[in-house]
Amino acid sequence: MLKYERKEIADLGIDESVKRLTPEKITKTINNVLKGTGARLKAYLDTCIHCGLCAEACHYYLSHGKNPTYSPVAKVKLTLWEMVKNKGNVSPDFIAQCSRIAYTECNRCRRCSLYCPYGIDIWYLIALVRRICLLLKVVPQYEMDTNYSHAATLNMMWLKQDDWIDTVQWQEEEVRMEYKTARIPFDKEGAEVMYTPIAPEPKFKPQLLAATAKIMHAAGVDWTMPSFDGWDNSDISMHVADFETMSRVERKHFEAAFKLKVKRIVMCE
Amino acid sequence: MAEINNWDWDTKEKYIADINEWKKKFKAVREISISDDGERIAAVVENNDGRFTICNNGGVWEETFERLWKLKFNNENQLYSLAYRDYEWGVGIDNGMWEEKFDSIWNLTLTPDGKGAVANCKKDGTYGVVLNGNVWENRFADARNLAISPDGTKTASNVQTKSIKVADIFAFAEGIYSIAIDGNPWDRNFMSIWSFTFSSDSTKVAAEVMLDVGAFTIAVDGKPWDQVFGCVWEPIFKPGTHDVVAPVKRGATWTLAMNGKPIWGEFFQIWGQKYSPDGQKLAATVATEFTKWTIAVESNAWSRTWNETVLAPHFSPDSRRVAAIVKEDNRWTIAVDGIPWIETFDMIWDPVFSPNGDKVIAKAEKNKKYYIVVDGKIGKNGYDALWDPVFGPDGKKVLIKCIENGKYYRRIVPVNEI
Repeated sequence: MLKYERKEIADLGIDESVKRLTPEKITKTINNVLKGTGARLKAYLDTCIHCGLCAEACHYYLSHGKNPTYSPVAKVKLTLWEMVKNKGNVSPDFIAQCSRIAYTECNRCRRCSLYCPYGIDIWYLIALVRRICLLLKVVPQYEMDTNYSHAATLNMMWLKQDDWIDTVQWQEEEVRMEYKTARIPFDKEGAEVMYTPIAPEPKFKPQLLAATAKIMHAAGVDWTMPSFDGWDNSDISMHVADFETMSRVERKHFEAAFKLKVKRIVMCE
Repeated sequence: MAEINNWDWDTKEKYIADINEWKKKFKAVREISISDDGERIAAVVENNDGRFTICNNGGVWEETFERLWKLKFNNENQLYSLAYRDYEWGVGIDNGMWEEKFDSIWNLTLTPDGKGAVANCKKDGTYGVVLNGNVWENRFADARNLAISPDGTKTASNVQTKSIKVADIFAFAEGIYSIAIDGNPWDRNFMSIWSFTFSSDSTKVAAEVMLDVGAFTIAVDGKPWDQVFGCVWEPIFKPGTHDVVAPVKRGATWTLAMNGKPIWGEFFQIWGQKYSPDGQKLAATVATEFTKWTIAVESNAWSRTWNETVLAPHFSPDSRRVAAIVKEDNRWTIAVDGIPWIETFDMIWDPVFSPNGDKVIAKAEKNKKYYIVVDGKIGKNGYDALWDPVFGPDGKKVLIKCIENGKYYRRIVPVNEI
């Protein structure tokens, strides 16, 4: 019998959110998500023989003294299987456990799928758990906050539109102290390249934008950046399984490139 | 059309400015901007002292700034700009400035009559909109994007009505965003709001809104549709009515809904819907399957699909035909009524219909040169720089605004000689 035991770590996004759940909401949400899964989920659940070969692939398992509850198969068993078996009738505390496992004990590297003799996409199963937790709004606070930032601002750091513009213009001034003719050209229609950073750059490390400008200047690249929404290439919404916000962010990113008539998008990282 | 009628459609060629000379005269030349009628060319230029000003048809503005950008000619050929000096932003118009100064100002947009300007602004630490120098009295914790009514009298922005603490996910979920019109927010907030637009009679505003995680709809004047969807995209008003049409996702597929009710068949994706000029037909970019993009008119998809991109549709002025930019295997071209031009390009700009809809022209790039393409046939001349071509009122001549060997020309060329 698997027993899920962890050191208690307070997280408002989980601890407070589960207090707002009702049994009806939990059941309805789980069953709505499972209803949309089709044959894929059924095939995965019916195919898994619980052999545990996936365990050795998981760095959470290996780095926790081979505690079996960190093995991928256990993470599925401790979350999704229980939901399926109980037809969605699970407790708020169980949802808190699911959120903790799905968001903080799997980082979707997918190594386990390579170890599975059947190639079961275990990350897909964990992603379903994340999706359920997201729709119940039981998500670690700072992950949810970042997701909300994407939803509200289309960047992950709550940057206001004028903050972004001012930061880039400031960094252009900085880089021009060193390279007199260097530029960070906003909205240059027809440039070869649209470069997009992730929002932590303008928010916390704006000098990285200047560093990029130096590279572009030295390499003679014909480049631009959008002054409007769509400049952030990150998408934390994908990680929390907020697929609607994810697609909105991605659409905006590509549409920025279409608007600027660039031939390529170059992203940091 | 009245303005185009007043343009010079007779002079075959006007040499307006030598941009190479500008490049010799100034330390840097940035952001070249052309007036609609092609008579004027301007750029942000850097003086030797590192300060910026504007060179407009060779004339240089005496004022200099630390930052200067977003040059935009209005239809009277006055030049707007956003200018920053001594820690204040202002709006330049020709050789003058609006009196108002701002902490920041952006999203500079011409008013529908083509004369005035509107922008988002931050003033005294609060956010709003400024229309022709008049700032909203009510301002907010944030304002993102703007819309202006077709009659040019009202402005709207997506505003944050409540300030919340960092990472207060619970306060956020209660809704902190609304649409403010002339500074007056709707009665209710939403979790998030994206695109928004005025009705053609300027009395209503529709917006795509987030009600909850995974729950979206369209709100008109703050009232959400009764129907809730898995996702929605940008709404538009049917011209001359208060009916609102938006792409909505139900289950795994998308359709177009009017006032909440489906009016089209189901597609893998839909966006960029547009009404024909006569208001009778609706076209949109759709995906019939994953990676199969095309245009649908009145819910009927073209049979030809493209594997990478199809951009939003363009109707001919007589509402008869539809053209769109399409991309396949990393090559761009135009498709008209479902049939792509044979020639493909490194990049292509929006299709332009002749007044009677018979011809389609576009600016296109091939091997680092820019061409005018007429009904798929690439023009004789390649230019160093080129702006979107404009058909003359009779549809027989085209205004070409181009740079050749560093010199900017305004040319009037018969369509059959391009």
